[in-house]
Amino acid sequence: MQAAETRGEYDISSPSSPGARGGGMALIELNSVCFRYEDAAADALDSITLAIKKGEYVAVVGANGSGKSTLLRLLDGIRTPSGGKVYIDGFDTSNQANSLDVRRRVALVFQSPADEIVSSIVEEDVAFGPENLGLPRPEIVQRVRDSLRAVGLENEARRTSLFLSGGQQQRLAVAGALAMQPECIAFDEATAMLDPPSRTAVLNLIDTLVENKITVIHVTHNMDEAARAERIIALDRGRIAFDGKPDVFFKGSAARALGLDLPDGFAAAGILGLEPVLREDAAGLAARAAARRNGGRERRSADAGEHSSGTAESGNAGVPAFILENVSYTYLKNSPGEFAALNSISFSLPRGKRLAVIGRTGSGKSTLLKLLNAVSFPDEGRVISFGISTKEASSTEIGGLRLRAPLCIQRPESALFETYAGDDAAYGPRNMGLSGRSLVERVKAAMDAVGLPYAQYRERLTRGLSGGEKRRLALAGVLALKPEALILDEPTSALDPLTRAAVDTLIILNKPEDETVVYATHSMDEAAMADSIAVIKDGKLAAFGSPRMIFYSDFDTDWGVGRPYAAELAVELKKQGIDIGEPLNMAEFQTCYKKALQSGYRPEELP
Amino acid sequence: MKNMEFFRNVSIGRYIGGDSAIYRLKPGTKYLWLLALSIPAIASPRLPGLVLPLVCALAAGAASGLKPRFLLRCVVPALPFFALAALLQFLFSFPNDSSPLLFKIGPISGTVREGLAILMAVFRTIDLMVIIGLFTSVTSESEITHGIEDAFAPVSRNGGWVHDFALVVGLSFRFIPIIAGELEAIVLAQSSRGASFGTAKGRPLAKVRAYLPLFVPVTVRALERAELLAEAMDARCYTGNGRTRYVVYEGTKHEGLAKGLAFAFCGIALAIAFML
Repeated sequence: MQAAETRGEYDISSPSSPGARGGGMALIELNSVCFRYEDAAADALDSITLAIKKGEYVAVVGANGSGKSTLLRLLDGIRTPSGGKVYIDGFDTSNQANSLDVRRRVALVFQSPADEIVSSIVEEDVAFGPENLGLPRPEIVQRVRDSLRAVGLENEARRTSLFLSGGQQQRLAVAGALAMQPECIAFDEATAMLDPPSRTAVLNLIDTLVENKITVIHVTHNMDEAARAERIIALDRGRIAFDGKPDVFFKGSAARALGLDLPDGFAAAGILGLEPVLREDAAGLAARAAARRNGGRERRSADAGEHSSGTAESGNAGVPAFILENVSYTYLKNSPGEFAALNSISFSLPRGKRLAVIGRTGSGKSTLLKLLNAVSFPDEGRVISFGISTKEASSTEIGGLRLRAPLCIQRPESALFETYAGDDAAYGPRNMGLSGRSLVERVKAAMDAVGLPYAQYRERLTRGLSGGEKRRLALAGVLALKPEALILDEPTSALDPLTRAAVDTLIILNKPEDETVVYATHSMDEAAMADSIAVIKDGKLAAFGSPRMIFYSDFDTDWGVGRPYAAELAVELKKQGIDIGEPLNMAEFQTCYKKALQSGYRPEELP
Repeated sequence: MKNMEFFRNVSIGRYIGGDSAIYRLKPGTKYLWLLALSIPAIASPRLPGLVLPLVCALAAGAASGLKPRFLLRCVVPALPFFALAALLQFLFSFPNDSSPLLFKIGPISGTVREGLAILMAVFRTIDLMVIIGLFTSVTSESEITHGIEDAFAPVSRNGGWVHDFALVVGLSFRFIPIIAGELEAIVLAQSSRGASFGTAKGRPLAKVRAYLPLFVPVTVRALERAELLAEAMDARCYTGNGRTRYVVYEGTKHEGLAKGLAFAFCGIALAIAFML
């Protein structure tokens, strides 16, 4: 590991007097810190020693269950270590008398903003922290105003926080942290549930904080986000596996050894034969690639058509899995807060196809999935599921349709309820009437398929499973139904790269040929795996077509969805006069680039 | 088939932002009206005494832009409990009940006195639900908290326990829609795995059985949400002591009149309740 090489950069010294640190000194110090949850068999954190200087920008990465969130809670004094010491600006967090001094220096922003909103009015929520500090009202007013302006919510000050979008709620959470005027803000996967524009807004906010010399600690599963930091701490089963510079982490073997991705730009630079550069976007990489080619020499374009894939419109005759005819749906009808979630949506999806549903948070994606699952019914229009109109179906038919096309909700692990993992996976098949040997066989097959071997996991306590294992178990519970269609709402959100890849492979890439899959996602790489993509914008179907149509010919920045990195880079290369075709993922990008090389493009010929 | 939209029937605990004379009242005045409407609804021994608080609450809601249908919708989730209460009342009769018999089906019989008792209980519950729904729709969490703090200020030495109590009251209301949201998510997940929510037509026992597995995950999620909220409050230096206030309640120029009317309404409603 690289840790030994780089650890020396961050010297641990015994803390000086509390609150007396100057610039450049360690704001946060952990000395041999251990932490174990009650009833847990192993330490969540084990012998953690590190120091973080004032103004540093640190990313914390690692698999689900590696101890990242626990580490943040120790920094804020919400948890105190079972062994060792945590010092914040010299204050020992184990001493209760220091708790306010600690928390006014380190503010936390959690993954789900809705969980941390205290007040029902935006400006009052921001004021909650300063009120707790006992500040005089004029100062609170000033801090609230400044914080809301910093996150761009100054015009929403009197709005009901419940009615803000997910991205706005996360910015509100940041405003609440800013109002404390902390020296450090720690983000706990704060971008995991956000759509691309909201994610960009939060990342820009982080950049502003760093410019203003505020220490930022960013826990993330996204390696592009991690690469923005000036230092990476990687955790593995509660221990520090790496602590050093991002370029060392990604260029060496550390990231791969931990099962983590490389930033998109790193893989692409390798294919283009260029040195990877941290924090370089697709436009920058394309410009470097263009700068290296033969000046002014035109080249033939690679044949993009060779890479086109099957779409929902092509192939597969017979009764479609789903048909939507002018479907509209309104939430809270005749109530305050009423809003039209879907407006006149129409499309048809053949059986056996994969459909990705993309769009901004609150655009209507989840509502669409609920209509397909027949747990909601359109106010106007018709949803025809496997030849049955859900609106006119009997209750028995609806029960049958829900089993034929089950819905896996967002964070499906929250709905696990049986004591033992095996029983939870068996819940659905039991409701179908299976018992005895056939039930065991069905459950075994499903659990084995998701990577939770039946023999090993059937009697494991559900509550004792890790986050990734719970997600897999929830999927096993649905797969055990042997459904004709799978409907999944953000199936890989908040999962680490390794688990995310495993879930994608299982339910999207390696699905049975005759199984239809519909999934909502904020990951454009995941969307590109589908046969078709539906883009929802403000409740309307903005576009429907193959991934190449959506990400190339018909792409519109107004959708607020972005492109997969491979497509983004290909578009930027084309702007530079290098047309390699229309790849959707890095494997295709590599193939396209090779073809471009064969057709005359010579990257080594410098202008 | 009905949509699974539990949130639609939740009017308690959802602050609906707005601007009307009622919204602008000081928290203390809102609490006074909460009591003025609730006391007759609780104390009235006869049906006519229950009508006035309900009509007044619905009218006040309409004046604040809240439709009567919205405030009454919270009754829908309570309907099974009303049915259960009625069944128990008919099963366990009053001693020496000599009122006329309404019906008799096997071991279950209903008399006029029992019928009236059920009607009173249902009406009283609806009154209280609508009144609390109105109060929480026009009163933000800060107002709920500050109103209690102000009311107990004379008996509180440093304000610590009063603020804790006030915050518990405010957050309790807030948790009603949160639990409704969690319940909806879990019902969706289990429906997809064959639980018979909304599909077990005509089989009451199956309907009840379908809801039993919800208890564990909903409780766990509610506790998790409570823990997350507590962590978020801790992280923002909440101790309950030494807090200052951001919000200043200016109230309206008719604040005194509104308070006087609350006392007058309560007196008149009680008089009607006991005299009619």
